[in-house]
Amino acid sequence: MGDHLLEVKDLKMYFHTRDGVVKAVDGVSYDLDKGETLGVVGESGSGKSVTALTMMRLIAMPPGKVEGGYALFKGRSLLDMKDDEIRHIRGNEMAMIFQDPMTSLNPVYRVGRQIAEPLIVHKGMSRKDALARAVELLRLVGIPNPEARVRDYPHQFSGGMRQRAMIAMALACDPDILIADEPTTALDVTIQAQIIELMQELQQRTGSAIIMITHDLGVVADMADRILVMYAGRMVEYGTTDEIFYKPLHPYTWGLMDSVPTHDMTEKRELNPIKGQPPSLVNVPSGCAFHPRCPYVQQRCITEEPLFKIIEGSHGSACHFAGDPGFVRGEAELAGVSA
Amino acid sequence: MSEHDHHDEQSLVEEHSVKEMRSGLPASPPVTETTAHIHGGATRTLWGDAWIRLRKNRLALIALIWLILIVVAALTADLWVARVVGDPTTIDSSTAAATRLMSPSLQHPLGTDDMGRDIFGRVVYGSRASLTVGVAAVVISLIIGLLLGAVSGFYGRLIDAIIMRITDIFLAFPYILFCILILAILPDDMRGIGPVILSIGLLGWPSFARLFRSSVLSVKENDYVDAGRALGASDARLMFRHIMPNAVAPVVVYATMSVGGAILTEAALSFLGLGIQPPQISWGRMINDGRGYLISNPGLVFWPGIAIVLTVLAFTLLGDGIRDALDVKMKD
Repeated sequence: MGDHLLEVKDLKMYFHTRDGVVKAVDGVSYDLDKGETLGVVGESGSGKSVTALTMMRLIAMPPGKVEGGYALFKGRSLLDMKDDEIRHIRGNEMAMIFQDPMTSLNPVYRVGRQIAEPLIVHKGMSRKDALARAVELLRLVGIPNPEARVRDYPHQFSGGMRQRAMIAMALACDPDILIADEPTTALDVTIQAQIIELMQELQQRTGSAIIMITHDLGVVADMADRILVMYAGRMVEYGTTDEIFYKPLHPYTWGLMDSVPTHDMTEKRELNPIKGQPPSLVNVPSGCAFHPRCPYVQQRCITEEPLFKIIEGSHGSACHFAGDPGFVRGEAELAGVSA
Repeated sequence: MSEHDHHDEQSLVEEHSVKEMRSGLPASPPVTETTAHIHGGATRTLWGDAWIRLRKNRLALIALIWLILIVVAALTADLWVARVVGDPTTIDSSTAAATRLMSPSLQHPLGTDDMGRDIFGRVVYGSRASLTVGVAAVVISLIIGLLLGAVSGFYGRLIDAIIMRITDIFLAFPYILFCILILAILPDDMRGIGPVILSIGLLGWPSFARLFRSSVLSVKENDYVDAGRALGASDARLMFRHIMPNAVAPVVVYATMSVGGAILTEAALSFLGLGIQPPQISWGRMINDGRGYLISNPGLVFWPGIAIVLTVLAFTLLGDGIRDALDVKMKD
């Protein structure tokens, strides 16, 4: 315990709302080491972002409540820290890049000022030094002519440039962990690739660990060392990127892969989306939360909640049939029973 | 851009373009027309940029000039008014009978009142009370309102509920009547400018608190506030650096317009004899004094009336201009 840079164990974050208890994060565990990249993949509402926000203590409590588990950062419990301790970690040792660069920059301050802010707050830099550093950071993230751009307002930046500026802000204090919450979702595809490339490049240079939250397996394929697949607040599969891509264990992961468009796709082959909708977190299906959408559903899946079990090394899955011979992507037989 | 406009960032830009030229690369285009006023000069703050935009708004500019004129006149009145048109604050009983109710002339550009005092001079002196009451009362309201509104909107929950109920109670008071009540129970020798300011200021804050609270509530939801928090900003920093500057614009606009409102209230109270007391001069008081001559010598009521209208209008137009100027996105 405490050997990893970040260690999350059985984390549970529930929201107590008028409609009932929303189990947004329900028993999530993972480790992260220095310089590593973890991809957290899942549909909207699967609890990917809430997991990260819980660690950063950015969830309003109430209505949120940690119902169990812990998150250790360098051996210190993030969830038990005093407010000013966690504040010192935010932006300094753990920084976050938000999804929508159009709204995540303060419109009344010049970009440079905003990038300089964490430096002033955490490193006690003078305004002048911090601004000079902001120019360097903008150059680092590939903004042309940063000496002039540092004095632009956010609305004078394009979406891609703003996301670069957000990355510069997050990197300002050289954080150990960079959490990117769907950093490319709001951008168009060509810019997406640039941003991903930029993050990889910066990671090599700074050695920070990255938690990449995304709904797109393609985004984490090149980038992540390990992948956590989430569904309805629970972890359904966890393993190295190779394990996830070459030996996926959970039918949900299979579904995610089948729904990714590929280059060799002929006109005849159609996209194969996962049928149905992600479940409401107030009313999670019985047994395995994925059972209403799972093409391999068995009686047992409806009645009994599968435990997360390790199959090989660190590779594990929360499916009753994970690891069964024959229960392999593309070879498993469709279920005979119906729900 | 003048020579002394250089500051650290400016010189950085120049160094950079020099470097580029030396290295034989195409130099970045010189700061172009559209970016010049954004990047150039010493204006780098929100308010600096707002000022640049305000200057382009002709109506607001005229209003501002009018207000500056009045302020300057009010501040310097002692230096020139008495010399030019005679002392408008005292009654010279020996000449009063001869000089009363005179028509406009070179000596008395707006004529004289029933006590033989110069109306122009009295309007100039009257601006002192109006401006003082207007600005001071609004400042009091503004301080209370911003404070309560900020706390209420930022922390929410129980604090919010308590503050807002108190606000509701204050809003339920009939504003002018309550001012009248407060001033009416004061003994005669305590009446004057101080109680007027206090009664207007202490009753005016609820609208500021409500407006600022709602503004804080909406700004608080913005992603950049979350982003600021995620980067380690403290509550105070979030409030003062991220929320306040984005939330304050409507309050600044309302405050500017409220100065006009406070001036009107002061005029009403003084007209009723509860506000500014003689020998102090106020526009409302002048209208009260002149109302007996409304038909025969309308100038007695007209000129202070015009002064009130123009000044209140100027504050409203200025408020409007500030609102547009503070909207960063309306730039260019």
